[in-house]
Amino acid sequence: MNNSLPRLIDGMVATLRKEVIPHIEGEFARGQAFGVIYMLNSLKLRASWSNEFLVEQLRALEEASRDLEGLGLDIAGAPVPDARTPEQAPTSAQLEATRDKGNERICALIDWLVAHRGAISAETAAHADATIDRYLNRQLKWELSTSAKPMFVEISSGAERSA
Amino acid sequence: MSTPSDAARAFEDPAVLRVRLADYLSGQTGAPVAVESLVKFPAGFSWITYGVRLAGFPQAQNVILRIGPPYGLFAPYSAMPEFESLSALQTSSVPIPKAFLASDDASILGAPFFLCERVEGGTPLPWGAQEGASLEGARRDSIARDFIDALAALHTFDWRRTPLAKWGDGITEENAALHQLEFWQGRFERWTMRPHPMAHRAFAWLRRQPPKASRVAIVHGDYRLGNFLERNDRITAILDWELVHLGDPIEDLGWAFLPQYRGGARLVCGLASEEDFLSRYEARAGEKVDRGALRFYVVFSLLKLALTHMAAARCFEDGLFNDMRMPAMATQIAPVFRQIAKILEHTP
Repeated sequence: MNNSLPRLIDGMVATLRKEVIPHIEGEFARGQAFGVIYMLNSLKLRASWSNEFLVEQLRALEEASRDLEGLGLDIAGAPVPDARTPEQAPTSAQLEATRDKGNERICALIDWLVAHRGAISAETAAHADATIDRYLNRQLKWELSTSAKPMFVEISSGAERSA
Repeated sequence: MSTPSDAARAFEDPAVLRVRLADYLSGQTGAPVAVESLVKFPAGFSWITYGVRLAGFPQAQNVILRIGPPYGLFAPYSAMPEFESLSALQTSSVPIPKAFLASDDASILGAPFFLCERVEGGTPLPWGAQEGASLEGARRDSIARDFIDALAALHTFDWRRTPLAKWGDGITEENAALHQLEFWQGRFERWTMRPHPMAHRAFAWLRRQPPKASRVAIVHGDYRLGNFLERNDRITAILDWELVHLGDPIEDLGWAFLPQYRGGARLVCGLASEEDFLSRYEARAGEKVDRGALRFYVVFSLLKLALTHMAAARCFEDGLFNDMRMPAMATQIAPVFRQIAKILEHTP
């Protein structure tokens, strides 16, 4: 891929909007195309080239770097690459699994607090509740700030929303 | 004639569906019935709806055929709750289509289905700003009166004198809210694809303060702008009874009061102010609406909406169909959770 992901998405959205949708017959089919645009806009705010894709490129670069470094004084002064792959580069799947595991514990804690409310002090319960609420709000605000503008009028009507 | 092997997914092939429907109706009426036309309606996330023109069917020429596909939003389906409730309500003043026939036997059309009268009228939609804006003045007031009166008529209908009495086993004023919480908890567990602490938080809040219902009534389950037909400023039919059940009538008010159905206006379902809505409803239903119960059911309704969005995500993820409205709906889980969080901030 030689273009940035956001620019690729902008280009796909513009093409669908200006070149494709006006020629689609049928309200439902146009609505589906607007659905594709909406999901592309949503991806743009959260996606990037995957770690797995970039790490493999770095591994290749590292292999070449080490090989060339081995030439040592034979190519003294040459601009030899010195790339290294980060040892602890988590994949997006690993990050997602870590987040889900953490959220699973938060869910279990919420349920535990309900079941044990009588056995802990009111102050402790309030502290735990407040911490959980702060956490939930922070997560929700982040999700909302990385969400595309809804397009439900376009998706349900198959027509551009008038400004 | 169609063959038994045609039954599988017959509802997806209009040519096969026409033959199988004609066969079925001929068998039911004991005389030849022909399907003259079959038109699929584009709206709806759940049941597939066809407008059907029949010849030889004694009850009507134009009917609606509703089919619950195995991949629908709330699948697996049964046609019976909608059919039985519409049948029971024929004697009420709630405007509804006449229910004709129904079956859950998938060997007939490939999925549960029912047939009802085709009622004339258009559908104002909550998410089309232009439609919402067109509900103004005397037209809006007239529709609002019908909308509120129909809800009060539904909630005061004596279901115990109808075959729906069999639905009432174990549902009381005391446990109606908890009964529904259990039902939606089960759906949450079925639909969720990852842990959602906000859903746990909301369920915990709701379980702490379930209200006692003033009565056990028929609850429509999806009573809102977009689920009725209107003609000449009057509601001609209340539609989409797939979530009908017995419970606390305030549950329907909580759903109708959701911000999502206000069409960009401050009015409940784009029709009436909260005060006017409650005042007319109370006069028609003959009892006060407990404001605490209403707040409970608004939060519960938001949770149900978030869970419905999870169902959409699950439907799409399972790959049974590729309707782009499903992932689009799924993006609304967080905004709905945020609305719940804001209410809980003020009513811990």
